[in-house]
Amino acid sequence: MFDDIKRFETGSPQQLDWFRQLLDGFLPDGNAADIRAVPRGSFPMINVARSDDTVRVYVFAAGLAPSDLTIDVQDNVLTLRGKREPVMGSNDDGSTPPVFRRERVSGEFVRAIALPDGLDAERAEARHNHGVFEIVLPKREELKPRRIDVQVA
Amino acid sequence: MNTVVRTSNRSPLPQRGEEQRPLQTETLLPAVDIIEEPNALKLVADMPGVTHETLKVELDNNVLSLEGEIALDMPEGLSALHAEVRGQRFARRFNLSREVDGDAISATLVNGVLTLMLPKKDSHRTRRIEVQAA
Repeated sequence: MFDDIKRFETGSPQQLDWFRQLLDGFLPDGNAADIRAVPRGSFPMINVARSDDTVRVYVFAAGLAPSDLTIDVQDNVLTLRGKREPVMGSNDDGSTPPVFRRERVSGEFVRAIALPDGLDAERAEARHNHGVFEIVLPKREELKPRRIDVQVA
Repeated sequence: MNTVVRTSNRSPLPQRGEEQRPLQTETLLPAVDIIEEPNALKLVADMPGVTHETLKVELDNNVLSLEGEIALDMPEGLSALHAEVRGQRFARRFNLSREVDGDAISATLVNGVLTLMLPKKDSHRTRRIEVQAA
């Protein structure tokens, strides 16, 4: 019978992030934060990686269809805009049923992230797969790594 | 529709050994919504990058476990500039209450969002009780 009580343990949303923020509070690293740094747990989460000729941005936006995310690049700032509808249940009579946990972010969001200089936004491409958007930004020709041959004197 | 694997004959010991995974695969906790519907509990979990092939939903002695590897198609030779997702897999477990009908659980995975319907047994469904006039 008391099993049911467990359902009322809501915990703190995003428990790991709560813990990280606590740690950050106790152990500030003393370094100045980047002007566009965001706290962990923002939605959507973003990873950026670099290869020799591209910069790739991975946007972890579960539940968004390709048309739900707007991607803009201006100068070297990438801006992501979108909206995620909250999941609602409905009772037979149309009333709203009780919710035990609501940890998933919903509503409108805007996130901006600074990219390295020298990217060619004209040739950027984006793909979508299983809730992850991959944005590929090629580097401009002059910034690609090149080998310099030593000339024989 | 994914099928829910039901395993109930496992002894607790090997299960404990299974949890000692290599440290480099850091596990992320997926954000979930849990909603009480009249005839079912609905569980919605964010697992971006998880595919049908890498998702595992298991019910073991009333413990529901969700696990999924993030399967990204990334080229060789990438170096990270900025990483908010630092982990390769999602995992989370829930104790189910006795009224959930384990054989009737259904799961769908769309755009990295896992939706589980946990139907209640017939005897536990919502009934409206009319108040009679005295």
